[in-house]
Amino acid sequence: MSESSLRKATPGRLVAISVTLLILLSPFLWLLQMSFKSNDQILQFPPPLIFTPTLENYISLWHSAFSASFVNSLLSASLSTALALLLGVPAAYALSRWAGRGKHALSFAILVTRMAPPIAFTIPFFLFYRWIGLLDTITGLVLVYTSFNLPLVIWMMQPFFDTIPASLEEAALVDGARTRTVFTKIVLPMVTPGIAATAILCFLYAWNDFFFALILTRTNARTAPVAVVNFMNYEGWEWGKIAAGGSLVMAPVLIFSLAVRRYLVSGLTAGAVKG
Amino acid sequence: MKNASRKSSITSSITRRKLLKASAASAALAAFPAPLIAQTKPFAGVTLHGASFQHRFFTLLQKYIPEFEDQTGMKVDLQLSSFPVYNQQANLELSSGGSAYDFVNVTFILAARWVAAGLLANLDEFTGDANLTPAEWNPKDFVDGAQVPYRDAKGATYGYSWEGGAMLMGLSRMDLMEKKGLKIPKTFAELQQVCAEINGTDGVSGITSFQLHHWNLPPYIQGFGGNIFRKPPGDIMPTLNTPETIQGIEFYANLLKSAPKGVLTYTEDQARQSLLTGRSNIFIHSSSWVTPILLSDESKVKDTSRVVRSPAGPVHDYPASNSQGLGIPKNAKNKKAAWEFIKWALSPDISMRLVKEHGHSSICRRSIITSEAYRKLNTVNGQDLGALYLEVLELPGKGENYMAYRTVKEFPIVGDVLNKAFEQVATGQLPVKDAMNAAQDQAVAALRRAGTQL
Repeated sequence: MSESSLRKATPGRLVAISVTLLILLSPFLWLLQMSFKSNDQILQFPPPLIFTPTLENYISLWHSAFSASFVNSLLSASLSTALALLLGVPAAYALSRWAGRGKHALSFAILVTRMAPPIAFTIPFFLFYRWIGLLDTITGLVLVYTSFNLPLVIWMMQPFFDTIPASLEEAALVDGARTRTVFTKIVLPMVTPGIAATAILCFLYAWNDFFFALILTRTNARTAPVAVVNFMNYEGWEWGKIAAGGSLVMAPVLIFSLAVRRYLVSGLTAGAVKG
Repeated sequence: MKNASRKSSITSSITRRKLLKASAASAALAAFPAPLIAQTKPFAGVTLHGASFQHRFFTLLQKYIPEFEDQTGMKVDLQLSSFPVYNQQANLELSSGGSAYDFVNVTFILAARWVAAGLLANLDEFTGDANLTPAEWNPKDFVDGAQVPYRDAKGATYGYSWEGGAMLMGLSRMDLMEKKGLKIPKTFAELQQVCAEINGTDGVSGITSFQLHHWNLPPYIQGFGGNIFRKPPGDIMPTLNTPETIQGIEFYANLLKSAPKGVLTYTEDQARQSLLTGRSNIFIHSSSWVTPILLSDESKVKDTSRVVRSPAGPVHDYPASNSQGLGIPKNAKNKKAAWEFIKWALSPDISMRLVKEHGHSSICRRSIITSEAYRKLNTVNGQDLGALYLEVLELPGKGENYMAYRTVKEFPIVGDVLNKAFEQVATGQLPVKDAMNAAQDQAVAALRRAGTQL
């Protein structure tokens, strides 16, 4: 917020902003306070707002299978994001620079996999993975997430490459640079905001996925969202652990988003406006 | 030529030192009984893969599994997941012809579907073979009512129950009731009266319940002579708008007027907590949810509580019950090893140890439930909880199997419709007749869409 806009912040606006923030943040704050309560305190009626906080839920999560699931989530989300970017960014660049007749048809074909709901692919993936032995493996999850994120990367990155004038690359080529150098040293730095924004969306998709992880994993590659559901037992729900797990699941996305927020706004808007 | 060269290489590899080593090993083997032990472990080297949802039974069983592994030589890989996750994964695995599991939990609500679809192995082949099952294991010792879901139309058995749930009534504030001159309700009419009179006294609600209406409601519907289906399992035409069903739904909706605000969205935990803290007087649910008012350290109402049979309707006295079983998938790779595990896990010995060493009471072996040790542990304030549990668990096996509605594969679809319709009635969105007429049409349409012939 700039200095001039701060000056314009009337009491009415401040109240409106505070109320909006409260509404937006209240589910998260409620979850967070629950994670520091015991199961008995959580079920008390009316719910106590002042209580002695306990780290019991986080400690028991640390000692449970949840920690391994958390690592599985980190691995599958990070690796699939990296792989999707590694394959998708050059593909988007190639599509951007290609002036052939089939360009639009190819772009559309790439997007088709994102059009069907994930459930349509689940059973084929399950049967195929069982056949080739990829069920309940991180590799299996990474491949699934990559296959879904790849079209997103290509479609998001293409407008960014379109905005870079071809003359810039031609000048570098005239100066003796090789095509690979032009791409890595000149083009890529210019689309960094786009890559950051795309990476966040890819990471979010893989990190928040529940359905594929539910069907394609068992115990070895179980991810954090499925592990959180595992606290909903037949004999009762472990509310404290669910809240602590939910809070922890949100943390990496929050950290990742904050780390790249500088690029995020420009990345999410630049392609759309200039493309 | 090849054979000759191989022979010479083998001969050259047998040195004097190796021969001496072999002789020493033979002498050692003869001197110690290790080979005999190995011979008594027919499943040595086998890894048994099993899956279930998380439950105290398995947490306790896991402590004994090393003993079983030691006896048999096999390794047990038991995968435990939450209830919804397990059901989803096991259903997919079995229905797609998978062989990842050697034994599985046969969840009550999925039992009929799995049995009808031929996804499970017939366990009579194991119990009928004296070499595989000793007489003392006695399959008939399992409470008949708990075994009903695991049998097909011809009576063949596809699972043995490890856990039973029997609907009982818990009353937390007998002191308040006595002050008002109220007795323990034995009929629906008395229940209605007690709930209404207690509600609001000392800040106590008359009754509590939770959001799984298709578990709570049917005993009232059946109590008035209605049902969920016309005559399950043979005739599964929904009967959600019969006068009897409507009467049951109306009764239950009225009953919940004496419940805490928000009861329609209560989870089982919330309902139990409101009973344990004395905020609600009555809770009617499976024994393991109700008996903590007498047994749990959390209970603040131990001195003023009672656990009794749930009230009878004007037409029927049908308290709900359920059970969970262990079975073997038809495509399992190690069926005999899996049966060895099931036989061991549900043996009288392990069952008794669970009762004596851990106070685990929701088992389904009649000989254990009626034993002195069990009775001693489960008699609190003069109330024989075991006898109550057994009485209710047995009922569906006597005469009409009134729990058949819940074990047919069509129940989950109709149950969802019933849940939504009841919410409309209880919140006053629709008059009961309109809601149930609409529910009937929706249930029939949903079943037809799912390919059911009606």
